[in-house]
Amino acid sequence: MGVDLFYLRPKKLDDALEFLRDHGKEAAIVAGGTDVMVNLRSGELKPKYLMDVSRLPELKGIEIKDGGLRVGAGVTISDIFTAPILTRLAPALQKASYKFASKQVRNVATIGGNVAHCSPCGDMVPPLIIHEAKVVLKSSNGERTIPIQDVPTEPYRSSIDPEEIVVCFILKPKENVFSDFQKIGRRKELAISRASMAVMAESDVEGKITFMRLALGSCTPTPQRSTDVEYFLTGKVPSEALLWEAGQMVANKMIAISGVRSSTVYKEKAVQGLFMRILFPLVKHA
Amino acid sequence: MILEQHKVPICFTLNGEHVEVEVAAGETALYTIRERFSLKGTKEGCAIGECGACTIVVDKKAVNACLMIAAQLDGRDVMTVEGLAKSEGLNTLQEAFLHHHAVQCGFCTPGVLMSAHALLNENSNPNREEIVKGISGNLCRCTGYRHIVSAIEDAAILLSEKEE
Repeated sequence: MGVDLFYLRPKKLDDALEFLRDHGKEAAIVAGGTDVMVNLRSGELKPKYLMDVSRLPELKGIEIKDGGLRVGAGVTISDIFTAPILTRLAPALQKASYKFASKQVRNVATIGGNVAHCSPCGDMVPPLIIHEAKVVLKSSNGERTIPIQDVPTEPYRSSIDPEEIVVCFILKPKENVFSDFQKIGRRKELAISRASMAVMAESDVEGKITFMRLALGSCTPTPQRSTDVEYFLTGKVPSEALLWEAGQMVANKMIAISGVRSSTVYKEKAVQGLFMRILFPLVKHA
Repeated sequence: MILEQHKVPICFTLNGEHVEVEVAAGETALYTIRERFSLKGTKEGCAIGECGACTIVVDKKAVNACLMIAAQLDGRDVMTVEGLAKSEGLNTLQEAFLHHHAVQCGFCTPGVLMSAHALLNENSNPNREEIVKGISGNLCRCTGYRHIVSAIEDAAILLSEKEE
């Protein structure tokens, strides 16, 4: 079994883009390698080139730039967990980083890799969706920006061109807001999400919801924002009964997209329960 | 398969020593450590990043050697379980494992030790919950973890006493 495999580590983003222009289709981009190495081993991935982008300075950094919160694609999950700026401006993303795989994986795996891999259960995606993240892609031809939801086209398939690299994500920062990410897995740690949810909400003095963002992961081929539930709850004071109703709407949307499967009998209740678990703190008790 | 891949020359620090080696393009750090340097303490368990038996410390961070491309070690400071004890005998963490019977079959032990070492480096006074979280990327099928957690707790105390 002869395998022609090369490893290269460009020093600058421009060098990487130039290489991808000529060899993008035969190259696998490696940052943390935690997905690539598994697929390389299984034979699912058969690249000619392994292009290591883990040290490209252009992909690093978390900062506020022109009013947007820029998170470099090469930022590791551990970096996300320890960044104070995210505690303030994107807490759901940080919460997702705490529950992400294991310490060993978090130390090398990157947010860009998690998104580009397009697993339906990528835990970075729902928090990025609620922050209406834009994905900045670069190729030797220039730059384009697409919404985060447009990256995955189906499970493990992305709309990213083989010549392109994910450079960064631009999030809408949100301060002093109720925000949470939770997931359900088969166990507590190192669990692949069976259902995950990211939520942001703001309410006025009377408890009326004035702003809401909700995204569901792992239950549909690609993670989804639930705008209908956002509309439904905005302007209302959440009671327990109202939240059960809204949770059912989220579950209904999952069924509408994914169809009825053998797991639906479990997932319908699980999604509704997850929704309730996250949003129950907003219920005003008389 | 590995022999037919293109070679990459790398150099890094391995347990305090400068080393130079040629690795294959797709070779894992685990293969390099075990086969090229004959350091057999680092184990292969699942080989897909779920069990932690291959945990090593790279630039003070615990990583799965099975998921790391060997070429990515270039220029890094790498520590394996063999690097824990400075000379003959065991270090404080290892002694604590022995004392608390935190070792049964021993297969997961090198990986757990490396995770614990990295944890104590980051947080010299972890509580039980932080210890559990710190080693949650390591599977142990024998001990039930309680002895391991106690050993790390004890090692943290002993190490802080040593520093005073």
